[in-house]
Amino acid sequence: MRRIALLLLATATACQSHPPLVALQPGPPLRLVAASGVRINARLKPALELDDRTVLRFDSPLVTPDSAYFAAAPTAAPHEGARRGTLRVSVCPSGEAICRSLEIAVAW
Amino acid sequence: MRTRREGVVMTASRTVLLVAGLVAVSAAAIRRPAPPSSAGGTPAPELTNASWLNADRPLRLSELRGRVVLLNFWVFTCGNCTRTVPSLVAYDRQYRERGLTIIGIHTPEFPPYAGEHDKGNLVRALLQQGIAYPNAQDNDRRTWDAYGIRYWPSFVLIGKRGMIRYTGYGEFHLNDGDFREWDRRIRQLLAE
Repeated sequence: MRRIALLLLATATACQSHPPLVALQPGPPLRLVAASGVRINARLKPALELDDRTVLRFDSPLVTPDSAYFAAAPTAAPHEGARRGTLRVSVCPSGEAICRSLEIAVAW
Repeated sequence: MRTRREGVVMTASRTVLLVAGLVAVSAAAIRRPAPPSSAGGTPAPELTNASWLNADRPLRLSELRGRVVLLNFWVFTCGNCTRTVPSLVAYDRQYRERGLTIIGIHTPEFPPYAGEHDKGNLVRALLQQGIAYPNAQDNDRRTWDAYGIRYWPSFVLIGKRGMIRYTGYGEFHLNDGDFREWDRRIRQLLAE
């Protein structure tokens, strides 16, 4: 079994580098890991829109007391078939007081 | 507002399979209300949303001349947004009769399968949050785009003549520094 630690990192590319926001670790299950200080919105579960039009949602039973963020990396079980699609994640970096959407094309 | 664009970096251990992406979106790290773009402001784009809650009919800025308008771009799935709502409810109670109209522009983050586009879900969120001020469903992001918004929550304060006077974004709470700053700006525009 191939063991891949493919990190798909969203980071800033402006004049200065910024820490990655999230990493997608292929599984199974697929696992979405947030960088330190980055909170993944649990009220809007991350979604992987596969090219075959199915949508996988990431989830975890462990959330923060206010249910706003995941307290453990959310996972999704990939099915046979499509291995590429669009990952959507709502992240709320703790120091920024905002939420922003990431939309990332992925394949594995 | 300062913005920066994000890209994607990949690393892999052992077999690299993949590939990937592009990114959309962006960020900025200041949460303080941004300064006005110019002394007199710029004309606020008209609201064209068709679906409204807490309003008898679609609101249009052209009909609100003479009032100060605070637009709040938000979505009920955003914790930063919902934690800011008590401050907006407080402004509404304090200043509505004195000439302030707060309008929520409810803009979904994800496609419709996530439930943010659903009017019933928004109704429940308004009740849960105690929101009595008007809200527009901005499901096609028309208003979001017209104002060049990038983050949840964001704010646009419009003066009595329909000009954008202040913009900003980021969660704030009752009586914290940002709350007091927005409060000061609201009172300033109400006094003009």
